[in-house]
Amino acid sequence: MTGPQALLLAAVAVPAVMLLGCVAPRLRGGMWQALWLAPLPGLAAALLARGSSVSFGPARAQFVLALDTSGAILLGSAAVLWIAAGVYAERDMRSAANGGWFVVCWLATLTGCFGAFLIADMPGFYLFLAVVSLGASGLILQGNTPQARRASGMYLAFALFAETAILMGFVLLAAGTPGGSLLMHDAAAALPTSPWRDPALALLIFGLGTKAALVPLHVWMPLAYPNAPISVAAVLSGAVVKVSIIGLIRVLPWGAAMPDWGAAMAAAGVFGAYYGVVVGLTQSDPKTILAYSSVSQMGLLVAVLGMGLRAGDGGTAIAVALAAAWHLLAKGGLFLAVGASSGTTARRPWPVLLPAGVLALGLGGLPFTGGAVAKLAIKGPLGDGMMATLVTLAAVGTTLLMLHFLRRLPASAPTRAGEAPAGLTLPWLAIAFASIAIPWALYSAVIGPVSDVLAPAALWAAFWPVLVGTLLAVGLRAWGPRLPPVPAGDLVVLGERAASGVATWSVTLERADAVLRLWPVAGLSLLAVAVALGAAMLSGR
Amino acid sequence: MTGATLFGLCAAVLVGLGLYGAIVHHLILRRIVAFNLLGAGAFLLFGVVARRGTGAGMGGDPVPQALVITGIVVAFSATALAVALLLRLHAVRAAEDADR
Amino acid sequence: MTPGAAVLPCAGDPAGALLVLAIVLPTAGFLLALSVGGGRAERVALLFLAGGFAVAIAIVAAIWRSGHALSYALGGWTPPLGIALRADGLSAVMAMTTALVVGAVALFGRQNFAAPAPGVEARVPLSFWTLLLAVTTALNLIWFAGDLFSLYVALELLTFTAVPLVCLDGRADTLEAALRYMLFALMGSVLYLLGTALLYSAYGTLDIALLSERVRPEPAVWTAAALMTAGLVAKTALFPLHLWLPPAHAGAPPAASALLSALVVKGSFFLLVRLWFDVLPGLPSRAPAELLAALGAAAVLMGSVLALRQARLKLLIAYSTVAQIGYLFLMFPLASGPAGGPVAAGALTGGMLQAVSHATAKAAMFMAAGVMAGALGHDRIAGLAGTARALPMSMFAFGLGGAALIGLPPSGGFLAKWLLLTASVQSGQWWWAAVMLTGGLFTCGYVFMVVGRAMGEKDASEPRIIAAPITGQAVALALAVISMLLGLAALAPLDLVLVGRPTLAVVACR
Repeated sequence: MTGPQALLLAAVAVPAVMLLGCVAPRLRGGMWQALWLAPLPGLAAALLARGSSVSFGPARAQFVLALDTSGAILLGSAAVLWIAAGVYAERDMRSAANGGWFVVCWLATLTGCFGAFLIADMPGFYLFLAVVSLGASGLILQGNTPQARRASGMYLAFALFAETAILMGFVLLAAGTPGGSLLMHDAAAALPTSPWRDPALALLIFGLGTKAALVPLHVWMPLAYPNAPISVAAVLSGAVVKVSIIGLIRVLPWGAAMPDWGAAMAAAGVFGAYYGVVVGLTQSDPKTILAYSSVSQMGLLVAVLGMGLRAGDGGTAIAVALAAAWHLLAKGGLFLAVGASSGTTARRPWPVLLPAGVLALGLGGLPFTGGAVAKLAIKGPLGDGMMATLVTLAAVGTTLLMLHFLRRLPASAPTRAGEAPAGLTLPWLAIAFASIAIPWALYSAVIGPVSDVLAPAALWAAFWPVLVGTLLAVGLRAWGPRLPPVPAGDLVVLGERAASGVATWSVTLERADAVLRLWPVAGLSLLAVAVALGAAMLSGR
Repeated sequence: MTGATLFGLCAAVLVGLGLYGAIVHHLILRRIVAFNLLGAGAFLLFGVVARRGTGAGMGGDPVPQALVITGIVVAFSATALAVALLLRLHAVRAAEDADR
Repeated sequence: MTPGAAVLPCAGDPAGALLVLAIVLPTAGFLLALSVGGGRAERVALLFLAGGFAVAIAIVAAIWRSGHALSYALGGWTPPLGIALRADGLSAVMAMTTALVVGAVALFGRQNFAAPAPGVEARVPLSFWTLLLAVTTALNLIWFAGDLFSLYVALELLTFTAVPLVCLDGRADTLEAALRYMLFALMGSVLYLLGTALLYSAYGTLDIALLSERVRPEPAVWTAAALMTAGLVAKTALFPLHLWLPPAHAGAPPAASALLSALVVKGSFFLLVRLWFDVLPGLPSRAPAELLAALGAAAVLMGSVLALRQARLKLLIAYSTVAQIGYLFLMFPLASGPAGGPVAAGALTGGMLQAVSHATAKAAMFMAAGVMAGALGHDRIAGLAGTARALPMSMFAFGLGGAALIGLPPSGGFLAKWLLLTASVQSGQWWWAAVMLTGGLFTCGYVFMVVGRAMGEKDASEPRIIAAPITGQAVALALAVISMLLGLAALAPLDLVLVGRPTLAVVACR
């Protein structure tokens, strides 16, 4: 095994081994200090092991870890966020009750998240997705309120539905892959000619779209993030949700144009982008606003993927990965900002608020931020048509939403009195810096020269939506309080009604079971089964 | 009507009676008896089969007879076990009632 | 020259004697344990089970190495006059599973069924250890017997040994559950016996290999197949004939529940597979196979929903068994497609893997639940809070077993589900895939319900959780880990299952 291969393995194995170590209560206590160490091999792998792969297991069903460029981009930026959030979590959550479970769920989520970025085969991806979902729902539970319990259950329920669809999609993919390969790469390449192309794509887009909070499958997101602890919301909204993006990048066939499916994805994504902004503007809790912003931003990423699929543009994967990396760092950072601001706003708000403002407006595409870089990167796949206009207008909306967030940020009730300890502010500032620096570095490394971003036309294209959004925000200020309040999770109420319907049904089934288990009924059933089998055999002649 | 057909019909009647009893009766002892009727029907069927297999110049096919003997032993053991369980159930119930 | 010579190419195979050993060894242990009494039965049982384990490994190795089925003609008499024992890949895999699970149950049972003092006579330990050996005999006979009447005897033996296991504690309600189980199973066996009588009258033999050459599609065969299938289905507790299973499996002591749920219901299921795919392979069987799968689908949905509604942990696991048995029957329409096709091979392998995977996972779950119930003093799901903290090992075993049931990779359950889903896609029967996926969601539901409750914090008012001995927990965990890793190991058994079915094996290798 070469050095890069060992790094790939270590990226997943180190958190996994730490997770196993949690079985011993003594080690579990000491795991807090090591929380920030767990993502380090992942970071090293992203920097040093791009292009390598390692496989193990029996020949017919190998686990294959492989790091392509888009995987490396997401893995590296996710590792940075996990490190910062790990430091934050240690300071913030260590004293909280039930701390043992926090560490276990944290490490499980980390293992699954890195595994999903690295894995190349379908069963492995399914496994890591399941690990992520389990860990993440456990982490949300750490909010330790009735709302957190509801949010955690909802998260898990949606994740399970998504994974069921993804499993079936994978089965269809594999059935259509000649040679029985289980690698996502081979399956995606064979997809355009597969007899099961349409059902496979429908299931995969449904499943991964649910994980990406595509409207109307987004309802878990505005429930989960606000009710989870800050550090958890940061990693979930930043790193974990990007698992869906890497999944879509891996299973969609970039070699062939699929206009229908591409257009459908783009439409669904753009709808989500606007929907998130509109509902987000009605919210008052800064964490909920950020969650709806995530709905909107993930919608945009899916829309870009859709446009790329429509045109069969091979460069889409890397462009989307870069944009996703920016959102990963910025959104994670903004959640940490909410935590950092809760103590500091009273006296000296600016050290937190100013960088937060830069990041927030960066999501709208403010020049010189990572947002502007990301916007330029996705320009290629988007093209110049109506979709480009729609996305630009969405940036106006994002600016509006982010200014709304900034206004609500100091107003959020401080959870702790006094100054925020350095342990809470430092990770936030580090992420704020990283989210500006990393997209620049990535752009020059994988897409093109930095001068593209600094060209006056690009600067102006990035700046005017922010300007319009700001002007609109000032203009609409008075109108804000008159917006109708929408409960967080909007559509979820309908789902919960349906669930109670199922509960009624299960009572009926229980009664039916009691009747069927009566001796004479069961005896007659036995005869009926015999007669029916005989009749079926006669008729099947 | 040949003897074999007659015995075959008898077997069918026994099986029918046994099934009826096993399904309808509430008392466990009656169900056990019904099971024995059911078994008797099946064994009679084997006897008919043995009778029919006399083409090879023998008085009867010996294999089904061997099977029937084995089957009777099995059915006997089943009855014994079921009755033993039933007796134990009654004893335990009686002890519980006495405690109350 | 009898036709049997053609199908028994290796009647004199010395490795065939292993099959006799696999049956004789536990029988000898049973007799010896009975004669030395409850005080020493444990030691005898452990010794003979260890021997049986070695024999099972030897059988698997022999089949693996030679690549063809083993057979042994008892007393040198070949069928149709004599009785043959046969072991193909299917039976070898089942025998290995039996050895593994029975071994685990024995180790687990040591803490509950130890004699009060060495050499002191005790009724319950005597029953447990002798019955354990007897169940092994009966199961091995089912895996290896080559004719339908020996299989009938084996099936009855299995029932007679399983029923007393249900009521080891001698309470009125478990006695009642045992009687209900016994009487329903007896009805099933008479139907099976009637079917064998019909087959014998039509073809003059009950040997599986000979029958498979002789059967023709005619009313006698259909009637016989319908009767035998119905009887076996009753013994397997397929919905709606599951009346006996929940009280019997939930009432038995944990070690016995593990054995009953893991292996005993698989005995009659295995026989059904033999009947359908070995005795009657050429018959048009689409419609009845679909009927079986429809009952299986109903079992999956009904069992899962009822599992979700149970208030007691052991009843939940028992209803989960009802649902998982339903999964096993989904393989029938998938595996009875164009005979010998790769789809059929995949479905058959998937179905058998599901059986093995369920055996290990469910045994682990029943053991873990037993440990928890012992420590808590009850098994109410609502009162499980704090168990995960007090008994992390058992909880982990339960969770891993649950994950294997749900079908997370790399468990055997995942591979089984993958193969069955693929078969349903390739044969165009997507509705069975829908049933499997829905059932999987429900499985997640009830597993997480238990794990979530157990992870909660205990109220101070509730009684303290007693510490549990480590051996039982370790055994449960080991079984759960095995079922979780079965998907990796199963890539070897995957081929093993097809040994002895030439048409399937050839196509599957393509």
